[in-house]
Amino acid sequence: MSLDVTTKRAISRQAVIDAIPLEIPAIPFALVLGLVITESGIDYLVGWSSSPLIFGGAAQLTLISLLGSGTAWIAAVAAGLVVNARHVMYSAALAPTFQRQPRWFRWLGPYTLLDQVFALVSVRPEEEPAALRRYYLTAGATFWIFWQSVVALGLVIGPVVPTEWNLAFAVPLMFVGLIVVGINKWPKVVAALVGAGVTYLFAGLPNKAGLLVGAMAGVLVGYLIEENRR
Amino acid sequence: MSAFLAILVVGIGTYASRAIFIVALAGREIPEKVLTALDFVAPAVLSALVIALLIDDAGNVSMGWPEASAFGVGAATAYKTRSHIWTLAVGMAVYWAVRALI
Repeated sequence: MSLDVTTKRAISRQAVIDAIPLEIPAIPFALVLGLVITESGIDYLVGWSSSPLIFGGAAQLTLISLLGSGTAWIAAVAAGLVVNARHVMYSAALAPTFQRQPRWFRWLGPYTLLDQVFALVSVRPEEEPAALRRYYLTAGATFWIFWQSVVALGLVIGPVVPTEWNLAFAVPLMFVGLIVVGINKWPKVVAALVGAGVTYLFAGLPNKAGLLVGAMAGVLVGYLIEENRR
Repeated sequence: MSAFLAILVVGIGTYASRAIFIVALAGREIPEKVLTALDFVAPAVLSALVIALLIDDAGNVSMGWPEASAFGVGAATAYKTRSHIWTLAVGMAVYWAVRALI
């Protein structure tokens, strides 16, 4: 079913209006990412290419920071992939909605399935397919343009910031904020503490491999607590 | 070049994680146990990363008063405000202040 022009415009406008408040909190992430790229020793353009290629702030920050701090390639890549594993849940949650969409959109849509886009779209499962598609594509495009530009802006600001400020510390600090905001039950607190504690214990492992041990231990402990609560 | 390859691999993996059920496995359910485990990926991995990013070349975790107090105040700020901007601003301010004091 096709939509008339007025309806299309109204949907697009709504998508942009909904997206903006979710973009503002992402600004420091994008700027810090730009700064981290300039300090990582990775070619600026290559670092920036993570924005269109990965299009996910936490994974980009993880990968670039780890590569820049001498972590083994395989551990950095594994960490980046694991950080983004949560998207599998979004994919499963939206699969029924996407069933009613054309094939081209089922392939294109997942590319912009950010946390924010999921949050916006997951509350509209009953919407008519053409209208949902319009909304999703507009919101996705809004986030895409925003993200590519602000990361590029961070690249420009990066070299101006004095290195004594050690702005790289902003990355773990932001992750602490992400953990706290994401905690909605106490076993997640335990999972986070175990993840940090075990990584600390295994800090001496070469190439920061302790990271993967800690992450696995955290998931395992969280899982076991949750299974035993049932 | 190897950095670009790393970005490309994570990019493909990220797309795959977003697309898997929408493109390929629509209609199939994720086993309950897998969902339970996936729910803990974010806190466990992010907290492991917080420590990993502070590990220096000698394999020691360089966490002193500036880092510890910034994490503590930053976590409290995130809890209170739910805002990344405030977390970053207050946390970095504490980090710089404590670093200047000691």
